[in-house]
Amino acid sequence: MSANLHLAHTSDVLLTWAVFLYAFAMLGYAAEFAAGRRAEAAGGGSETVARGARRAALFGRGAVVLTFGGWAFHIAAVTTRGVAVHRVPWGNMYEFSCMVTLVAVSVYLFLLTQPRVRAAVTGKQRTTESVRCLGAFVMAPIILYLGLAGTVLYAAPGPLVPALNSYWIKIHVVAAITATGAFLVSGVITVLYLLKDRYERGLPPLRVALLARLRSPRNPARVSLGPGTAAAVEMGAARGGLMRALPSAAVLDRLAYRVITFAFPVWTFAIIAGAIWAEQAWSRYWGWDPKETWSFITWLGYAAYLHARATAGWRGRRAATLSLIAFGALMVDYYVVNTVITGLHSYAGIS
Amino acid sequence: MTETLSEEVAALSTAPEPVSGRVARGAGPHLRRLWRQLTSMRTALLLLTLLALAAIPGTFIPQRGLDPVKVDGFLRRHPHLGPLMNHLSLFDVFAAPWFAAIYLLLFVSLVGCLVPRIRLHAAALRRRPPNAPRHLMRLPASVQWETEAAPDQVAAAAYQLLKSSRWRVDRRDEPDGVATVAAEKGYLRETGNLVFHVALVVLLLGIALTGLYGYKGTVLVSERGGFANAREFYDVFEPSRLFSDSQLAPFSFTLQRFTASYQPSGEPTSFHAYIAYRSSPSAAPVPFDMQVNHPLDVDGAKVFLVGHGYSLRISVKNAAGQTVYNGDTPFLPDDSQFTSHGVVKIPNLGGGKQLGLTGFFYPTAGVGPTGAVTSIYPGPRQPLLSLAAWSGDLGANSGVPQSVYSLPVANLNNIGVTQLTPGKSWHLRDGATVTFHGVDQWATFQVAHEPGKRTLLAGAIFIIAGLLASLRVRRRRFWLRAVPAAGGESDRRTVVMAAGLARSDADGFSGELEDLVGRITAPDPGAIERAGE
Ligand code: HEM
Repeated sequence: MSANLHLAHTSDVLLTWAVFLYAFAMLGYAAEFAAGRRAEAAGGGSETVARGARRAALFGRGAVVLTFGGWAFHIAAVTTRGVAVHRVPWGNMYEFSCMVTLVAVSVYLFLLTQPRVRAAVTGKQRTTESVRCLGAFVMAPIILYLGLAGTVLYAAPGPLVPALNSYWIKIHVVAAITATGAFLVSGVITVLYLLKDRYERGLPPLRVALLARLRSPRNPARVSLGPGTAAAVEMGAARGGLMRALPSAAVLDRLAYRVITFAFPVWTFAIIAGAIWAEQAWSRYWGWDPKETWSFITWLGYAAYLHARATAGWRGRRAATLSLIAFGALMVDYYVVNTVITGLHSYAGIS
Repeated sequence: MTETLSEEVAALSTAPEPVSGRVARGAGPHLRRLWRQLTSMRTALLLLTLLALAAIPGTFIPQRGLDPVKVDGFLRRHPHLGPLMNHLSLFDVFAAPWFAAIYLLLFVSLVGCLVPRIRLHAAALRRRPPNAPRHLMRLPASVQWETEAAPDQVAAAAYQLLKSSRWRVDRRDEPDGVATVAAEKGYLRETGNLVFHVALVVLLLGIALTGLYGYKGTVLVSERGGFANAREFYDVFEPSRLFSDSQLAPFSFTLQRFTASYQPSGEPTSFHAYIAYRSSPSAAPVPFDMQVNHPLDVDGAKVFLVGHGYSLRISVKNAAGQTVYNGDTPFLPDDSQFTSHGVVKIPNLGGGKQLGLTGFFYPTAGVGPTGAVTSIYPGPRQPLLSLAAWSGDLGANSGVPQSVYSLPVANLNNIGVTQLTPGKSWHLRDGATVTFHGVDQWATFQVAHEPGKRTLLAGAIFIIAGLLASLRVRRRRFWLRAVPAAGGESDRRTVVMAAGLARSDADGFSGELEDLVGRITAPDPGAIERAGE
């Protein structure tokens, strides 16, 4: 059966709409920050501050609505793609990217709407406010991911290669996608954790610190940055607005941990299911194929992160860094292995 | 106070304590210290990271196990660097001694770490929950309230509630009419963690079992041909270290028909090998449709379909009219359109002469981009066999092992070339006749016996189950102290303090404490609540 090209085209259009809505949502989240800060800076009577805060919240709520809208279009896009090609819509890298981002948005929306998470983040059960400030940061990589998927990785609709034609594609690949999407969200939260942690320790913003290190690699603390310094410190104070809006480092750390404790068993299951499938398809359950190896490296990385959290002297920043390295390995597994290194898992669908 | 708190939290896990910096005197303490060092969390962390780093070169440097041809090419292109890398096992990273050293050390560390942890946890499972600390209100999650109920009434209510929520509960009475309740829940977290780590060891045992007792072999079978599971029938046979021939299950099968289907572009869409197998020589044959993702499971061995190609029915008669060769001759594919090559060797054509045939087969003959004949589609739409005949010494009696798929022609005389379609014959100058009867297919099968597979599967299941318990269950403690108010005999009020702790990983305990206290005080709406710090 050949692909329904008309429907596949509809899917592409729906996905474009999803990306637009996500982009507007991101602007909305950013506007919430800006409006909140302006209200704070303006000072004045409590009446004006309250009005400013209300305006900010309005932007935020609008952004959430836009995110839900984008999510709906996103779901419609992958569904129509599946119907158009008469199979599961995760047979090549383009489709895989669409699914991973869909999972990531779903995880974010889940965190947003979970009363227990909200309570942990804000101490209040009723508001999505503080989880919402992750919104802009979650949307950015998702838009990037989808942009890359729609351009570089785009694959014309078609059937699966025979090696993939098995019910295991439903089990193994769904698990891999789910874990990847969740790891993406945990990665974003971990980066925010590291930034917020810097802020809480009273260190200058990363930008300023890097600049100082560039000017004087030996002794960044001593260097005078000239007239720019004051501006940079100002900027640091301005950053305070953004940083203050984020939940505390401890909360971000726990949130990232929570998402990883969901994703890690799923990733473990994906690897095991992959081994069982490999045994049926290639007559060996493990062959150190590059894809298998990088999945294993990723797994070890997150295992190291979980250990680090329980090891004296490794909690916090160092553990977080390990989890980001593990995420880096996942990205190598996904982008580099599929496109640069050849192996049995050549299903990228790009040439 | 932070001290005591972190101690309390640490008591919820059996993780090894950090190794202290002091060095004791004498060899004994040194060894013991080394052992403690090896089984510490820090070492586990280091070795996990090291293992991950060590695996990386195996994905960028060509590996023998995956692509030996690429390794040879690399060695040819790098005559100096290549041998050095070879010496460092960089082409066999996953079989390298240094790679093995890391994971074996990791598993020694793991076992050394697990044994005491299991002992500790078993003891914790048998112990009563630890008594309530004296200063409950110092814990971060704590509340205090007053009630008209007597201390033991409060304690009894809390006891009942906790019991019914499946906490492990203990009630103690202290002097001065103080009643306390201590409860603990979520032991499953630690159990799951230990199960997970033990399952890792089980997984390694499974791998070792297969590595020591398994076997693997491949065989090429043409349509209507057969195979019996004995060493001499294999084309390639790889036994493991402790394998013995008695482990070969006595099954056999015949390949009745093989079909491949392709998209118009030549992309394959499906392969079917229709076989009939017997699990023992006396058993009745059972038909089976083998596919790429659908292997045959017989008697502990698995048979996989791993490749396919064309087998040509060729016969040769000598000048005297005797049939000297008649059979399915497998041709090996050279490209994705199945342009294939093969040979026929006839060491005794009669009259002391020998005959060799080398050929190319094109399932769908067409003209390639260079103008030469080539196959333009993998299915047999327009089969064409191009043959060359050779006379001279084929070398069959030289004692040097010969490949059945190639014939070195440097010392032979060419006595003609031709192209045949199915059904056509070719009369050679010396009177011999070659007939191309038709096209069959062959399939290659891989037989694998992995005695550790069940162990592996069990390990994998426990890994997942252990992980879920370990990562999703929260271990926590709850305490309650009910103290008579200090107002003397006439004061009938009771001051109740409740507090709890959870492993620091999870969210704090405040939410759950609020919930528990809410339920303990629910039947007593008169209680006056006063939140603690
Ligand atoms: C083969 C090597 C190992 C692997 C792949 C591994 C993996 C893991 C993973 C994934 C976790 C988090 C999930 C859980 O809590 O169950 C974990 C936790 C843990 N591992 Fe390991 N581990 C290994 C070796 C070790 C060793 C040698 C030790 C002893 C020092 C150890 C001690 C622990 C402890 C105490 C925890 C619990 C951490 C916590 O309290 O959260 N592990 N391990």
